[in-house]
Amino acid sequence: MANLTRRTFIQAAGGVAAVGLIGAAPRDAAAAKAKVVVLGGGYGGAIAAKYIRMADPTIDVTMIEQDHNYYSCPLSNAVIGGFRDINVQKHSWAKAASKHGYKVIHDTATLIDPKKKVVKLAGGKSVPYDRIVVSPGVSYKYGDIEGHSKKISETVIPHAWKAGPQTVMLRKQLEAMKDGGTVIIVPPKNPFRCPPGPYERVSLIAYYLKHHKPKSKILILDPKNKFSKKGLFEGGWKKHYGYGTGKSLMEWLPADGGGKVVSIQPGSTMGATVVAGDMEDEHQGDVVNIIPNQEAGKIAIDSGLADKSGWCPVDKKTFESKLHKGVHVIGDASIATKMPKSGYAANSQGKVVANAVVAMLHGKDPGTASYVNTCYSFLTPTHGISVAAVYKLKGGVISKVKGSGGLSPGDASDEFKAQEAQYNESWYGSIMSDMFA
Amino acid sequence: MGHRKIRNLVLAGLMAAGTMALSGTADAAGASDAMLANTCAGCHGTNGVSGGPAIPSIAGMKKEILFSMMQQFKDQSRPSTIMGRIAKGYSEGELHQIAAFFEKQKWVNTTAATDAAMAAKGAKLHKSKKCKGCHEENGATQDSEENMFRMAGQWPGSLYLMMKNYQAHDYPNAPKKMIKRLKKLSDADLHALANFYASQK
Repeated sequence: MANLTRRTFIQAAGGVAAVGLIGAAPRDAAAAKAKVVVLGGGYGGAIAAKYIRMADPTIDVTMIEQDHNYYSCPLSNAVIGGFRDINVQKHSWAKAASKHGYKVIHDTATLIDPKKKVVKLAGGKSVPYDRIVVSPGVSYKYGDIEGHSKKISETVIPHAWKAGPQTVMLRKQLEAMKDGGTVIIVPPKNPFRCPPGPYERVSLIAYYLKHHKPKSKILILDPKNKFSKKGLFEGGWKKHYGYGTGKSLMEWLPADGGGKVVSIQPGSTMGATVVAGDMEDEHQGDVVNIIPNQEAGKIAIDSGLADKSGWCPVDKKTFESKLHKGVHVIGDASIATKMPKSGYAANSQGKVVANAVVAMLHGKDPGTASYVNTCYSFLTPTHGISVAAVYKLKGGVISKVKGSGGLSPGDASDEFKAQEAQYNESWYGSIMSDMFA
Repeated sequence: MGHRKIRNLVLAGLMAAGTMALSGTADAAGASDAMLANTCAGCHGTNGVSGGPAIPSIAGMKKEILFSMMQQFKDQSRPSTIMGRIAKGYSEGELHQIAAFFEKQKWVNTTAATDAAMAAKGAKLHKSKKCKGCHEENGATQDSEENMFRMAGQWPGSLYLMMKNYQAHDYPNAPKKMIKRLKKLSDADLHALANFYASQK
């Protein structure tokens, strides 16, 4: 037995059950053929897979990803605003997978069995793991609004909250809309992926309307009474889009002002009658964009990784699920306390989990974690704003380091705003290379 | 009191502190260099090799220079949009760790296309405006005494922005002569110099 390598032992013992058996035992570097599965190749998963391999190239890493191409959500609002090509948002895993030596299986994971330590795929395969990193993003609760459905979102009312075909669909609907039309945007309830995203989208649709369809307007029907970077967005809307005047390109109805959407009657190709507020007011939208309420990605829910909130409780030091051992959940699906559900947060968590998984497979303590979020938004193509924070773990909470981070100043100069718009673009360049190169 | 007795008392104290802190003990040990530095990679690229036009690569930068720049961002003597806010999240010791990590990483030249005519103009300015006196080897030299970082092969957009900011803002720690010379340059000159340095590989 002592002369057997770990892999031959597993093979000799007949596979899966044995993995669980010795999974708990501390390992040394020689016990290296550990198997890690990463579910999802987005901002969290692509980083976890690459950084595990960078830290320990002897670990066998397999990514399971349903799509063949990746479209980045961050910066996709610029596609909707009409000043960025969707193809700039498109990436694939091949280069990073071959450079860093991880495998990619393009299939949909249907169930994780944490006892047997296997993940089942829609194609029929079962993939065994010693540890699994789950980074599935979010799923959408269409049923919260009467008359809405997944099918409606794919045909008439795109959410465009996963970049790709729906991003293009929303852009085309805006192009098809007559000047003088109304765009209705319905942001989701908290918590949700990319808190400033709906309001950046409002800004960039306004940018398009201002220059091409100036008689049109945007109505925001919000289930909330406040939102991320609110002061900065409203300041930008005043500066660029007449917000607060009679000529404003947008109107924001908060929850307390009739903003809660109850139901919709979709049109045949685009738009809808949207019913909102206690008085059940009817609003006609020529283009309607409902960003549904959200919960953890389906695989996480189906595999029992989420609690009653619909999100996944984790140990913040290792992102190991509090409900199932050996399973780590990162990114939007996880409950990361003070960290927002952002791309950068998922990137940062991908590195923390990579370090933890490698350490734990070697039977070591992962040490102290460090986390960052940096998130830019556009008000126009040349006006950027940002929010940032550095975090440390304190008493089980990922807390902001005192004095760190915060928002762009409200009184920033035009030059400052222009630089932040450039840094937004560059942020994209670097974070994409972090994921895909 | 003998040494041993003191040591035992200290040990007892540490153990008590350890018991009280429990999960806090790992935090007290501090994060590793890589753990800290990897938080930068979302904007500055894996191992500090930037993928974007306006954000500089910091791979291979001398640790004294990077530390000092981050420290200046933190105390706001170096103007910034976001770096001040981020640098405030790290202790002096952590900034030293981050700087030490990036010094060990391999420099990679930018993949950005440069304009040959502008680069040629920049090459002339490099000599005539006396940049050359300090920024030797066409900008490849680093000098930790002067906080002088590598410009050769750097992203041209980031070089342009840095020079633009030197013109527009107050940098108490920058060489006064350099600032004086930079302020006399036109926007086209800055672009030319940025293209020149970026084209040097």
